Amino acid sequence: MGKIVSSEVQKEAAEAIVNSISELDGVEAEVVERSSGTHPRNVLVANSSPGSWRSLAEKLYSDHAVDYCSMITGIHWPERDDERKWEVIYHLLRTGVRDPPSEDGVVRPIIVNPSTVRGIGTPVEIEIHVDLADSRTPSIDSVQDIWIGADWNEKETWDLVGIDFDGHEGMRRVLLPHETPRGYHPLQKQHNLRYHGFEEMYDDAQGFMRKSEDVGKIK
Amino acid sequence: MAEMWISMGPQHPMTHGLWTLKVKVDGETVVDTEPDLGYIHRGVEKICEARDFTQITTYCDRLCYASANTWSHSYIYAAEDLLEVEVPERAEYIRLIAIEIQRIASHLMWLGAYGPDIGNLSIMVWCLREREMMMDLLQELGGSRMHYNFPRIGGVKRDLPYGFAQRARAKLKLFLNRIQEYEALYDESTIFLVRSQGVGYAKPEEMINHGVSGPNLRAGGVNYDVRWAHPYSVYSELDWAAPVERSSIKGADCYDRYRVRIEEMRVSASLALQALDKIPGGADTHYEPEDPMILAKAPSRAPEGTSGAHHFEDSRGESMFYIAGGGEGRGKQPYRVSIRSPIFITIPFAAKCMIGYKVADIPAIMGSFDPCIGETDR
Repeated sequence: MGKIVSSEVQKEAAEAIVNSISELDGVEAEVVERSSGTHPRNVLVANSSPGSWRSLAEKLYSDHAVDYCSMITGIHWPERDDERKWEVIYHLLRTGVRDPPSEDGVVRPIIVNPSTVRGIGTPVEIEIHVDLADSRTPSIDSVQDIWIGADWNEKETWDLVGIDFDGHEGMRRVLLPHETPRGYHPLQKQHNLRYHGFEEMYDDAQGFMRKSEDVGKIK
Repeated sequence: MAEMWISMGPQHPMTHGLWTLKVKVDGETVVDTEPDLGYIHRGVEKICEARDFTQITTYCDRLCYASANTWSHSYIYAAEDLLEVEVPERAEYIRLIAIEIQRIASHLMWLGAYGPDIGNLSIMVWCLREREMMMDLLQELGGSRMHYNFPRIGGVKRDLPYGFAQRARAKLKLFLNRIQEYEALYDESTIFLVRSQGVGYAKPEEMINHGVSGPNLRAGGVNYDVRWAHPYSVYSELDWAAPVERSSIKGADCYDRYRVRIEEMRVSASLALQALDKIPGGADTHYEPEDPMILAKAPSRAPEGTSGAHHFEDSRGESMFYIAGGGEGRGKQPYRVSIRSPIFITIPFAAKCMIGYKVADIPAIMGSFDPCIGETDR
């Protein structure tokens, strides 16, 4: 029964990483308890300055065996009062599978018993926020060479949000057509959806009740 | 011999949807590949920014037409993290049943589609026959055949209908017997073995570094599964272990990926059967919609500065949603919804796996990774 990782072990493992990465300049980390449905889970949430992101990523990969880049999210915050108009959020996971054991040159299967994992083999959920300063061409260091899984995530973030990644090789459009104009990134907030409200959307699906400012425009 | 680029797709049976695989060939051998996606990009992430939290579920259903329930649940867990909702335990059991039946249906769709890829047409009809049973069960829960819109923030739309437990038990047990028929049909077929064994090797450590997860990773001898590693729902209450295939030194081939999905269907059926036995309140009781046993009250606004994220074991790998609160109307809508699609990350890796094999192996290798373009392009 209960063949899952216990949340106490996960919390210990996350705290060990927090103690280690808090030594870096510009990195603030803590373990946050969140709940999913009825189950508590401990997530390592860190804030990093853009300058120290690259060294933080290298430290996580080499010292803490964080071997899996799950998702990269870019957010455009034009309404924020301060300078932090862009944000990049990295979701990383530790799977504990980076170096598979081998015996006489034969790779052994890695069958982890979830109820007995400890220390560096414990899966940990990591969320890293990096705020970027206001700029027309925001950019951050690429981690494509550390986690190859970050490659297409970075492509997508540039394609849709317009945040560039320094040192990324082979940046191109992935979801939008290749001939999309330069500088067009649809998830930036200056591109509005035409209809915002619930009522407008459903009452005016045929366009009979157009607003006065819409008259003459092609729907 | 001169090398040349050829384009497979967007209209090609190998592609299982609309995308292009550019292949550089030297005679019959593949030397380089480049996938090209985005043919059915619908801008779901942008659309979600103009919808209420409750309205987004339907869009998530439509992310993947073969596995709608897992995707809507994936969103719901992230939304519950954002809105800080405590879910009743009975609802969690009902969700688990819905997710696992959907996983079986999705794997059956894959198995059925993989047969024609490598020259075995009859398996498709067999798989669709059993998939129909699973769709009937899901239809009883959600009300429609493909896009169920079943979970709600804080619970589920409806309780198990009267007689559902009996029908589900009968169908799942029948299905567990019928899996043996597929195994007999595939494992005894020389054509299938010749075409799937020894092609498309993928090493586990490379898959991890490339972000490949789910059944494709477990085929490589790694039992990493979000269901035990980052537990959600009530998987801790049930007796199960992630199915894993003991692959060779070269990694997982197409045959391993087929085996692991067969085993995973068995595990899913067993999980659903156990959940029917253990559900609090009993599987034969029926609570009316909006009863606190199956639906908790949830706030409808998320202020700026809040965020919710959740990793989820989709049929094809680890999916996840990240939702930032504080959008239109004082947080009534999300400010940003970001979707992690497992196949979006897997396709570049699968394309690399083909290098060195023959052009005729491309459908076998690509199909074995279970691509679904609906979720990939979003």
